[in-house]
Amino acid sequence: MGRVRAPSFRSWVERALVCVAVVGSAPLSSRGADDRLPQRVEFNRDIRPILSETCFGCHGPDKAKRKADLRLDSEASAFADLGGYRAIVPGDLDNSELYQRITAEDPEERMPPKESGRALSPEQIDAIRRWIEQGAKWQKHWALLAPERPPLPSVQNTTWPLNAIDGFVLAQLEHEGLAPAPEADKTTLIRRVTLDLTGLPPTPAEVDAFLADESPSAYQKVVDRLLASPRYGERMAARWLDAARYADTNGYQSDGERTMWRWRDWVIDAFNHNMPFDQFTVEQIAGDMLPSATLDQKIATGFNRNHRGNAEGGIIPEEYAVEYVVDRVDTTSTVWLGLTVGCARCHDHKFDPFTQKEYYQLFAYFHNVPERGKAIKYGNSPPLIASPTPEQQEQLKQLEATLASAEDDVKVCECELAAAQSEWEKSLDAVHANTWTPAGGLVAHFALDGNPHNTCDTSKGNFKDGKPSFALGQLGMAGEFDGSRYIDCGDAAVFGFYDKFSACAWIEAKGEHGGTILSRMTDTARADGYSLTLEGGKVHVNLVKRWLDDAIRVESEQSLAPNQWHHVLVTYDGSRVADGVKLYVDGRPEPLKVLLDDLNQSFKTSEPFRIGAGGGPEERFRGLIDDVRVYNEALSAGDAELIANLDSISDIAALPAEKRSKPQVHKLRAYYLENQAPEPIARAWRNLVALRKQKAAVVESSPTTMVMQELDTPRDTFVLIRGQYDKPGDRVSPGLPASLPPLPAGAPNNRLGFARWLVDPSNPLTARVAVNRYWQMYFGVGLVKTVDDFGSQGEWPRHQALLDWLATEFVRTGWDVKAMQKTIVMSATYRQSSRVTRALLQRDPENRLLARGPRFRLPAETVRDQALAVSGLLVEKLGGPSVKPYQPAGLWKELADTDYQQDHGESLYRRGMYTFWKRTVAPPAMITFDSSGREACCVRETRTNTPLQALTLMNDVTFVEAARVLAQRIMTEAGAGQSPEDRITRAFRLATARPPRTSERKVLLAGFGEYLRYYRAHKSEALELTSAGESKRDESLDVGELAAYTTVASLILNLDETITKE
Amino acid sequence: MDPYLERELMITRRHFFGRSSAGIGMAALAALLNRELEAADTAASQTGGLDGLPHFEPKAKRVIYLFQSGAPSQMDLFDYKPRLDDCRGTELPDSVRMGQRLTGMTSTQQNFPIAASKFHFAKHGDSGAWVSELMPHTAAVADELCFIKSMHTEAINHDPAITFFQTGAQLAGRPSIGSWLSYGLGSENQDLPGFVVMVSQGTGNPNDQPLYDRLWGSGFLPTKYQGVKFRSVGDPVLYLSNPPGLGDKTRRRMLDDLAKLNTLKLDEFGDPEIGTRIAQYELAYRMQTSVPELTDVSDEPDHIFEMYGPLSRTPGTFAANCLLARRLAERGVRFIQLFHRGWDQHTNLPKQISGQCRDTDQASAALVTDLKQRGLLDDTLVVWGGEFGRTVYCQGRLTADDYGRDHHPRCFTIWMTGGGSKRGISYGETDDFCYNITRDPVHVHDLHATILHCLGIDHTRLTYKFQGRHHRLTDVAGNVVKEILT
Repeated sequence: MGRVRAPSFRSWVERALVCVAVVGSAPLSSRGADDRLPQRVEFNRDIRPILSETCFGCHGPDKAKRKADLRLDSEASAFADLGGYRAIVPGDLDNSELYQRITAEDPEERMPPKESGRALSPEQIDAIRRWIEQGAKWQKHWALLAPERPPLPSVQNTTWPLNAIDGFVLAQLEHEGLAPAPEADKTTLIRRVTLDLTGLPPTPAEVDAFLADESPSAYQKVVDRLLASPRYGERMAARWLDAARYADTNGYQSDGERTMWRWRDWVIDAFNHNMPFDQFTVEQIAGDMLPSATLDQKIATGFNRNHRGNAEGGIIPEEYAVEYVVDRVDTTSTVWLGLTVGCARCHDHKFDPFTQKEYYQLFAYFHNVPERGKAIKYGNSPPLIASPTPEQQEQLKQLEATLASAEDDVKVCECELAAAQSEWEKSLDAVHANTWTPAGGLVAHFALDGNPHNTCDTSKGNFKDGKPSFALGQLGMAGEFDGSRYIDCGDAAVFGFYDKFSACAWIEAKGEHGGTILSRMTDTARADGYSLTLEGGKVHVNLVKRWLDDAIRVESEQSLAPNQWHHVLVTYDGSRVADGVKLYVDGRPEPLKVLLDDLNQSFKTSEPFRIGAGGGPEERFRGLIDDVRVYNEALSAGDAELIANLDSISDIAALPAEKRSKPQVHKLRAYYLENQAPEPIARAWRNLVALRKQKAAVVESSPTTMVMQELDTPRDTFVLIRGQYDKPGDRVSPGLPASLPPLPAGAPNNRLGFARWLVDPSNPLTARVAVNRYWQMYFGVGLVKTVDDFGSQGEWPRHQALLDWLATEFVRTGWDVKAMQKTIVMSATYRQSSRVTRALLQRDPENRLLARGPRFRLPAETVRDQALAVSGLLVEKLGGPSVKPYQPAGLWKELADTDYQQDHGESLYRRGMYTFWKRTVAPPAMITFDSSGREACCVRETRTNTPLQALTLMNDVTFVEAARVLAQRIMTEAGAGQSPEDRITRAFRLATARPPRTSERKVLLAGFGEYLRYYRAHKSEALELTSAGESKRDESLDVGELAAYTTVASLILNLDETITKE
Repeated sequence: MDPYLERELMITRRHFFGRSSAGIGMAALAALLNRELEAADTAASQTGGLDGLPHFEPKAKRVIYLFQSGAPSQMDLFDYKPRLDDCRGTELPDSVRMGQRLTGMTSTQQNFPIAASKFHFAKHGDSGAWVSELMPHTAAVADELCFIKSMHTEAINHDPAITFFQTGAQLAGRPSIGSWLSYGLGSENQDLPGFVVMVSQGTGNPNDQPLYDRLWGSGFLPTKYQGVKFRSVGDPVLYLSNPPGLGDKTRRRMLDDLAKLNTLKLDEFGDPEIGTRIAQYELAYRMQTSVPELTDVSDEPDHIFEMYGPLSRTPGTFAANCLLARRLAERGVRFIQLFHRGWDQHTNLPKQISGQCRDTDQASAALVTDLKQRGLLDDTLVVWGGEFGRTVYCQGRLTADDYGRDHHPRCFTIWMTGGGSKRGISYGETDDFCYNITRDPVHVHDLHATILHCLGIDHTRLTYKFQGRHHRLTDVAGNVVKEILT
């Protein structure tokens, strides 16, 4: 909390008093229902919105659509000589063509033309008239001018304001002849601020403590406590995830899973550590480009990889490569600049000063990511990084230390080992192991020594399409193949695309034909499955779901000489990319040529494992195949070398040490260590091997996360004509729109420079846009209602001075996010009662004047979290993989053939922000309560009120279970009391923070009496009702009574007040 | 009660459930609030949902859209191309293809052999419409139908293409056609949502293209306008049923108490949202009765099931959904959309498409007949079709009995009937290869404009301002196809 630097009340009041004396107030006016036009017309406030809405479509920035060469969005053009006349002549209506045309009687002359569908009201025409009469003073669009810290306005009621916010609000209220509402009662206030800052309700104990604290700083203490709570980070992150279109799936077609929760956790952590907003910005936009970027800074860049990724079979990758960059530009400009820059993708912006060329200059900043248009269907798409969790990082650190010491142990033994081994070698006779190979991971082995059986188990292989045939092989006998016969090995060696495996064989191809060595693949041409084949002398590895567009295919660089024995071994590490396939020929790594690298779905088939066949009758093998081995792990290069070496241990040992080849030395050492070494040495060795495995397991279990990276050589960027990927126009380089400030001198003109420019104090938008969104969180509507559009089509700010004060304050405090939240919630404006009179409701239905406190329904995830918290079911745990709580059965299945595997245990009771978000089938209760769908950036909060919400709250098992557990809580918790009255009061307080009034208590008690009578008489129904959910019913309680309390608890959870912040 | 609050309350209710007179379940609410509420609502039912809508006298009051997801092959069903038999297996001439883009699935294919349909076509009815043997029931009602053979789109892959059909844009984020209508027109039935969706799984290709919530989502419109999915498993509407052990009597009591407490709150705080909430709980309660009533088809006589076919007795099938669609239409639901999956025949087309036709042919035709017999066809527009067409050239191996077809956006066929469309006509033509349109192209935006026109809406004037722009379903395009309208 050290960072919070909100000005104290005292210091503010002192400054306010000074201001009151010296600063006059600017004329202010509401533009509410009873819109009264101000005497003094102001272009930005009164005229620009009219021109933008009505005229800019044809007389605006878009030069392609501009009519009569008249441009009304630029000062120069609006006043220019248009060949003997001017659109606007200040103070001269008769010579202002604009005014003449908008008032013309002749429909041919009259503007706007009828077919435009636009019209000007008499009031609008009058405003334009007066503006011209008053001298037609032009202003640049307000949002593009840097905010200046406004003086505090003078107010009559100097006792009400608590901080600067209140000064601005009160000045306007007084101007409107309104007074602020009284402060909300303490109970309402602590519930409001607790829900707002943490997304969870206060406990009765917290309420009591606050009620009991009569010190002047009581409220501030609560605020400080809440800002220090880790729940604060979760609450703040929830809205940021909407803006960042964060989800757990890729968003197109079958909508496979991705893992971006490391980024989500980074966001929570950043809020909890009160990372300044400028740093928060730079790390998310360009953390990867910071000098010696840390893992966290790289993870942060996931912000601009959260967009959807298309892996559909037939897509044209270039098309989607463009869409991803477009999404980044649009999202970034909405979130930081509040601009609808995306409109300029296809043509110059119709309302704001952005050309199409400028759009693609922005595009260029985000266009250098080494990514492909075709995304990975199941999993993360490159570029991605391994991102071990903090726990895993700690584990790795420890393992590395242990490993180092284990390596030392082995080294210490080294002399001893060499001596002991050489002793042993001398003692070795031919009886000792001959054809030893390491056995770890071996799952199938066909020695082919006269029978086609698997030596690993009892399954039998069968020759098909010909008689069994064997000939002398590399190791005993080998299977003989004639281009027709093959061995059907049954259901062996089953692998899919997440599985690691290795397979190998000795082969001697007869002639040039080659053919399929081994496979688990449909036996038709261009089939699906996996295979190891020899084509034209080259070894091919095929992992195929669909030929051409859903497959990995690689080919050895060198050809194998025919009519000679070769050992071929392939390994696959389950990574689903060609890079994860390795080939070894005769024990040596073989360079590969990648033919296809587009595997998107599993290549698992129900075909048998075949030796000598797969992929159609024409692909049958000709020649000898021997000693086929299959492993369920990706073998190392060392293993490959060992397996390909046929020398017997005793033969190697018999060679003089200096005559042994490297593979021979390795093999002898490996054999000795595994089988013969004296215990201390063997133990040190086993320990080392085990630790290496452990480390590999940790590395492997680390989540990955998608990140931004920069190509070494930037891609060329072109204007795309009509925004189409395949219609490049002029080449452009990265750059900023001319209507915004330039990059600071010396800043690099790249994504990092852009990120820093966003939070440069000269930027007129970023701070305003950010504080406006915060405002929306607390008051339901931004000071600029169009939180996503600060352009000329956006709303004129209702309190521009307040917005600008907040924006400059944000920058002045070093972009201190917690301090800004504190400033808002400490204000008297925020603390007002939310009761509304009929007169005020009619005057200001949306509470834009702020003459009362905010009152609106809780966000979707808070509706859920509160029910869980109130019942005591909530499991609080920061971060981690997303969870799958209850969901009606079959929702995924009926749309997309995938099953929703619901979690159990504590995962059922995590906060809503951790619920697994499948974009194409979003969690239904969340959507019903107006969550954004997470398909695209969403910063505007919307709230509807529908019967589906009622059904969810009444019947969703989440809420029914919460009601039952809440019932158990009030029946058992110490301090809840014994009487129904006490217990119901307790439940009511848990949900609303206040005790029920007498009238309310009467209703609840009467209802309880009836439910109790009913459920006592209908025990089986009581049992059913109280069995909702997976948590266990408290069997020590009378079930009829429990059912009655459950019903009352459910009612309480359904109250309007419960799901409302008031 | 405060008249201002009354009005707010009334308006909000209408947003979700339309604006007809108050239904049965309103009694309790009216008693609690004010009897005038009911009167006000009845009066309000005379006016439109959005001011000034419909723009002109509509021919159609509602739409049933039978969406065939995955893209049915036009040249195997409706667009008869007799000359293809002669060039079966020969390469598609470059002069026809004209270098147009192909999907990533076949763009690297080395040959593009022509796969003539293996199915027989015949002329049907007085109109002489060509329909393949796969669709005997549809053929029998051909005189009722308007075939548009010259549909085209820009998208060549399922997700963007179906999103385009539903929302007028290929990328996610725009409102679906049904939510535009809910927003503009509301619903005629107060107890049911204005936009209902049902999905079914094709037997021809059981693991076919998925669907997505966004296809009936509300995009940037408020979520209350999104389609409500009626399901065949579990609750027909999510969370519709009371939890086990909580009976109707208890629910009623609980809701009465809830209304009392919320009313106390309303009196104290004056926030009209509380009034809306009270009304929504009553509507929810009424849905608990009206929806099961609607989905319980046990009152349908046998001859109806026989007309829709044997599958109509199995919940969740396309045929069962067609029958429900008629019941929804009878109850005045504005936009009813069925999605039938399984039409993506890249390989093994003859077998798969036969299965798809068995799923859909009889029930689609029965729906047309049933609506006509009930006098509903005149003001119900029925549309049948997918998101694009399929290629004349074969994807994968062409054999005597087998072929597959890739995606083809440049031409495809849909049909429509009722609601102001002409019957017994074909509109638009394609070339001999069923590859390019030769006459009267109809773009997706044109179809949208035409559907809105049937409902009395000028598509250029149903707009919603979002991010500074007045958006519409047809973006900046779309022409009403007057030639197919009565």
